[in-house]
Amino acid sequence: MADLVLPTDGSQAVASNRLPNYAMVTESVSRVTEARPTRAWYVALAVSVSLTMVLFATLAHATITGIGVWGNNAPVFWGWPITNFVFWIGIGHAGTLISAVLFLLRQQWRTSINRFAEAMTIFAVVCAGIFPVFHMGRVWRAYWLLPIPSMTSMWPNFRSPLLWDVFAISTYALVSALFWYVGLLPDLATWRDRATTPFRRRLFGLLSLGWRGSHRQWSHYEKAYLLLAGLATPLVVSVHSIVSFDFAVSIVPGWHSTIFPPYFVAGAIFSGFAMVVTLLVVVRRVFELEHIVTRDVLEKMNCVILTTAVIVGYAYGIELFIAWYSGNPYERFAFVNRALGPYGWAYWTMVSCNVFVPQLFWWRRLRRSIPVMLSVAILVNVGMWFERFVIIVTALHRDYLPSSWGYFHPTVFDFLTFIGSVGLFFTLILLFVRFLPIVAMSEVKSGMKHEVEV
Amino acid sequence: MSPITTGQKTESGRQYWRSLEQLHQSPSFDRWVEREFPLNATQLDEPSRRTLLKLMAASFGLAGAVACRRPVENILPFSRGVEDLIPGKSVYYASGFSLDGVTDGVLIETHDGRPTKVEGNREHPTGTGAATVFEQASVLQVYDPDRAKSVLRNRAPSTWEEFETFVTAHLEQAGDGSGIRFLSDPISSPSLNLVRSHVLERFPGARWTEYAPLVGDQVSAAARLVFNREVQPVYDLSAADRVLSLDADFLGLDWLGKTATRDFGRRRRPATGTDTINRLYVAESRFSVTGAMADHRLRVTPAEIEGIAVALAGEFGLFTPEARSAVLEDPYRRRWLSATARDLASHRGRSLILAGSRQPAEVQALAYWLNEFLGNVGETVSFAEVSPLVDSPQDLSLTDLASEMAAGRVTTLVMVNGNPAFDTPADLGFSDLLADIPTTIRFGIEEDETAALSEWVLPASHYLEAWGDGRATNGTVTLQQPMIQPLYDTRSTAEFVALVGNYPESGGYDIVRNYWLEEWGASGDERRWRRALHDGAIPETAYPEFDATIDVTAIREALEQRQSSGAVDGIEVSFYPDAAMYDGRFANNGWLQETPDPMSKLTWDNAALLSPVTAKTLAVENNDVIQIEVGGRSVEIPVLIQPGHADKAISLSLGYGRTSVGSVGRHVGQDVYPLRTTEAFWHCSGATVRKTTKRHPLACTQDHHSMEGRPVARELSVGESLSASHESEVHHAPLYQRTNSDDGYQWGMSIDLSSCIGCNACMVACQAENNIPIVGKAEVANGREMHWIRLDRYYVGDENEPQAVTQPVACQHCENAPCETVCPVAATVHSDEGLNDMVYNRCVGTRYCANNCPYKVRRFNYLDYHGDFAETEKMAFNPNVTVRMRGVMEKCTYCVQRIQEAKITASSESRDVQDGEIQSACQQTCPTEAIVFGNIADPNSEVARLRSEPRNYSVLEELNTKPRTTYLAKVRNPNPELSVDG
Repeated sequence: MADLVLPTDGSQAVASNRLPNYAMVTESVSRVTEARPTRAWYVALAVSVSLTMVLFATLAHATITGIGVWGNNAPVFWGWPITNFVFWIGIGHAGTLISAVLFLLRQQWRTSINRFAEAMTIFAVVCAGIFPVFHMGRVWRAYWLLPIPSMTSMWPNFRSPLLWDVFAISTYALVSALFWYVGLLPDLATWRDRATTPFRRRLFGLLSLGWRGSHRQWSHYEKAYLLLAGLATPLVVSVHSIVSFDFAVSIVPGWHSTIFPPYFVAGAIFSGFAMVVTLLVVVRRVFELEHIVTRDVLEKMNCVILTTAVIVGYAYGIELFIAWYSGNPYERFAFVNRALGPYGWAYWTMVSCNVFVPQLFWWRRLRRSIPVMLSVAILVNVGMWFERFVIIVTALHRDYLPSSWGYFHPTVFDFLTFIGSVGLFFTLILLFVRFLPIVAMSEVKSGMKHEVEV
Repeated sequence: MSPITTGQKTESGRQYWRSLEQLHQSPSFDRWVEREFPLNATQLDEPSRRTLLKLMAASFGLAGAVACRRPVENILPFSRGVEDLIPGKSVYYASGFSLDGVTDGVLIETHDGRPTKVEGNREHPTGTGAATVFEQASVLQVYDPDRAKSVLRNRAPSTWEEFETFVTAHLEQAGDGSGIRFLSDPISSPSLNLVRSHVLERFPGARWTEYAPLVGDQVSAAARLVFNREVQPVYDLSAADRVLSLDADFLGLDWLGKTATRDFGRRRRPATGTDTINRLYVAESRFSVTGAMADHRLRVTPAEIEGIAVALAGEFGLFTPEARSAVLEDPYRRRWLSATARDLASHRGRSLILAGSRQPAEVQALAYWLNEFLGNVGETVSFAEVSPLVDSPQDLSLTDLASEMAAGRVTTLVMVNGNPAFDTPADLGFSDLLADIPTTIRFGIEEDETAALSEWVLPASHYLEAWGDGRATNGTVTLQQPMIQPLYDTRSTAEFVALVGNYPESGGYDIVRNYWLEEWGASGDERRWRRALHDGAIPETAYPEFDATIDVTAIREALEQRQSSGAVDGIEVSFYPDAAMYDGRFANNGWLQETPDPMSKLTWDNAALLSPVTAKTLAVENNDVIQIEVGGRSVEIPVLIQPGHADKAISLSLGYGRTSVGSVGRHVGQDVYPLRTTEAFWHCSGATVRKTTKRHPLACTQDHHSMEGRPVARELSVGESLSASHESEVHHAPLYQRTNSDDGYQWGMSIDLSSCIGCNACMVACQAENNIPIVGKAEVANGREMHWIRLDRYYVGDENEPQAVTQPVACQHCENAPCETVCPVAATVHSDEGLNDMVYNRCVGTRYCANNCPYKVRRFNYLDYHGDFAETEKMAFNPNVTVRMRGVMEKCTYCVQRIQEAKITASSESRDVQDGEIQSACQQTCPTEAIVFGNIADPNSEVARLRSEPRNYSVLEELNTKPRTTYLAKVRNPNPELSVDG
């Protein structure tokens, strides 16, 4: 790393001096899966899979015994499961934003990270999807939320934001997966061609859907990619806007707020980028990809984090202002209680992690420092989990009638479910880095300066 | 069991034996037999593979054997229905519920021969249709799987036949019965009394003791002092404009009866235009529901009440309080007393002074005197002569019984109901004495602490299984009809006493019926008997009115003789009946365990209630366990700070901490009977309190007690109007006008906060009607209680001198229901009649509706609360209401099953549903008629009239949810003299 020469022109970050040719890109990325997995990978996988088993066991327990095994109560009818849901959905925002929006905006630096970010998005959505389903009292009836009247003799209630959620999230998951897969095709074909074993050849041959890299194929591919990017872009905005409707459409003080959609989208980008930084910092080091995922790229990510931190901070401020300005006593109370009530500790954890800590990125030296960005990104993830916790629990625990006020205590199963979902997330990430190209080789190459005669 | 335990002798006289243990009848063989065929199958001790295989083989074999079993008796299908029995259609019967010798008329709802719900008997002279919390919950007890089910002798199974053989032989040797003592709870049953006199006649040496831990002798002592007769006061609260209660919780634990409560409730409702509301002054220690209704409340310790009463007499110039003026050092108290005295005096003949039954006889007598002085006797208070049922030399007090027991003069003790080993004063050491009695016979409904110490344990029938009678509060004889065959091998009290006393009749029915036919003489016939059974009461059996002349000199002398208690040192401890456990007998009743205390909202526990100031002095907080020591006896109990409690005093509720009781009530709460002595029966001073390091988390259903300035439960003073007390909100025109048809029925409810006394009756009624599960202490602590209607209690004003207001809250049935829009599967929808319907089958349990409900009335089945019910318990369910599974939301339905039933009846009679024809369960049982349900589209309906009253308001009106349940603001009637700057 010491000999890495930092390019002065950020837009061409990937084409650093360490990458004289396309072959080296292919080599660096392919090496990750073609070499034997390291002991560290096995250990990490063992831990993650164990945690995933914990998740499955907890969900089975909750399904068999009843969701009362979690701490949800009255008045806090939604507790950690929905907090985790919004948290993971938020994480799942970065990928599509990086691939689609930045693609449309012609941000070349995205190419080294978009594959990884997209994969992370899909895995985060998988983790997110678990919670709203399993937090239902009768999970075996979850399909009743789907509009299949031939089966249930009636339509679901289209006025309910939860139903919008079903559509928004399933669409998002589908488009993200499609987008990711389409992007993978040229790289899968590369691996097919590099395959040394019949199995790999067969497998990647099958997965690459007959990609030959012809001009016609490239032409279709670019069109499809552009179209999918165009399709995915509104989803980036819609999915978290609709998740925010779960809260904004209700009449609970502290939830009923028009600022929620933009505030949630900004928060989601914020947390998603933070998660990407957290993971990439580790991955680029472990798989020696520092020359592809450069510090410049990470710095740009950090700039986005800083920007969204400011937006989120502004939203926090505006919420307080509106609570005061509206003159609505319930709204006012909800925010005073949020900051100074029994959950004040959670609120100030959130504000510290999400608003104060990212301010470090105003200093170039700090936003380029690997230890600093790793710490900040982790704290942002903590802070964003707390943001969802604060929104859900503090609003619910004291709403209109003081007689019904309560307090929420998570149980051991709340912890286990959350940790288990983290385990699932990392299991999927670990399998991904082992079996699929973690950097979009073809795209990185497209961003490189064309080689002059070698 | 006997053919196995005794070695089997065959006809040839040869004895076959399987082992030496059997041959010698050794205890280990008995134990083996007991283990082989126990009531609850024995557990496998370390099963080896071989044992397991053997057992499995045996099980298969036995399973086959079971399959071969056919009933010997002919069973017949219901091809022809039993007359009048329509499945799903309830039948009501009149019966009587007895509590400490008072038998109130009740109406039992039965479904297919199963009693499912208790309501009040309107036809009964003391009935209003309301039923108390205890009456309502009593239906659960009959199905309690932990009841005493079979006869036990020395803890081993026995039979009634064996007992009969034993008791006949035993009593034949008893001579005149001078060693026989009977101990029972108070008996007011005329027929049982006849059986008892028969027994006592047969054994002239026998003595009979009546004891109930919550029935003091103060009231009758006062009557003897003033009238020298057994006389009880009868209060007419409908005629009283000014009421002063001296530690009389007459709306709660000193319950005067249903009519009195109803009358009081009516007088709390200001009729439009005129001032008819009464004014209530309460001087008390513990914040009671009566205190919560008070317009002016004075915090005094129980011992100070006497000083207050004497000082009041001093205000009228009747009696000079000398030494007792210590209680008046506080200027506010002096001001309070003089204002109260003036107010009472200016309402001569229209005022009323009540002294609590826990106060000494002299205070009660003084209250009579004050009423006499104020001209209230004959107006608001009259007297009735209680015919003394037992006035025989064979009566014995509990203290005397205990000393006889200690002296070894008692050879046979027959205990009929009650639970003396648990609830007798601690200084008697009753449990220890019991161990030395050669023969102890115990008859009761529970296998309780007393049963655990008795030789014979005989199971009693529940009142819903047995014939009987008893006297109501005013003396009217109430008949008790069984609703169901005894579920177990049990007998009624009369049957048991008849068995012991060799009474000629043995059947409960014959005992009661023949008694009354004989009593009626020539005018008695089957027709009259049936009429009485139908009505539930025998008319003209009330206690005769007693023309009272109050012996003032006797009262004066008694008061003068009384040593002044002087300054109270240390902390004063008082005992009070628990609002749910009563004296402890309802400990195994889950409904009652989970019914929150009306004021503290505490469930599944009792606590030491003390004031915030006292808590600060003692440096204790809620949930801290303190040790209270009085006279060498001590108990440990958690603290619950009760705003409005008198300082330097602790209130302890009796009845918790049962040790020998069914699974529900075992070790719930702390037993405080160990502090209670014959001297300190109700209160004692000089307690020392020590904070321990232990903590005991208490589960309250309400954790926040202030309204935070929100207009939730609104209050007015007489003369104020509602609009003055709250800002009118700006309402924008709705963007979308939902067409709410005014045709047909539009259901609505009105709840009058002015007359709601917060007694919890509606909660238990709703629980019985709607099959609402109990969830247990841990779940309550986690806020998961399931009550569809709850009573919110808010404190208003200063922490030390608060007022309280209670507000029943159930689903408000909003016209713009926030819950309905957010449900993704349309499981909660609006009906044409304005009901917010909950479709359990459709619910998937996202709980979004509950989040969005601003009234937080929705309840979620987080766990399978209806999971493990005993077969008998399932019989208590109302078949017309779905039993909800886990994972679904539920809430108040306005008793939609009752609405449908009335609509079907009306439509089959080609008419409309009449106003008042549908009563929700909560409305039906409300003792003060605070809840009114009906068709708001009918301008002539009661509910429509109430909704047009100026006091009418909706909670959280500004949310525009348009609730169908509206409230009438609570009106207080403060004394202008006292209302200026307390």
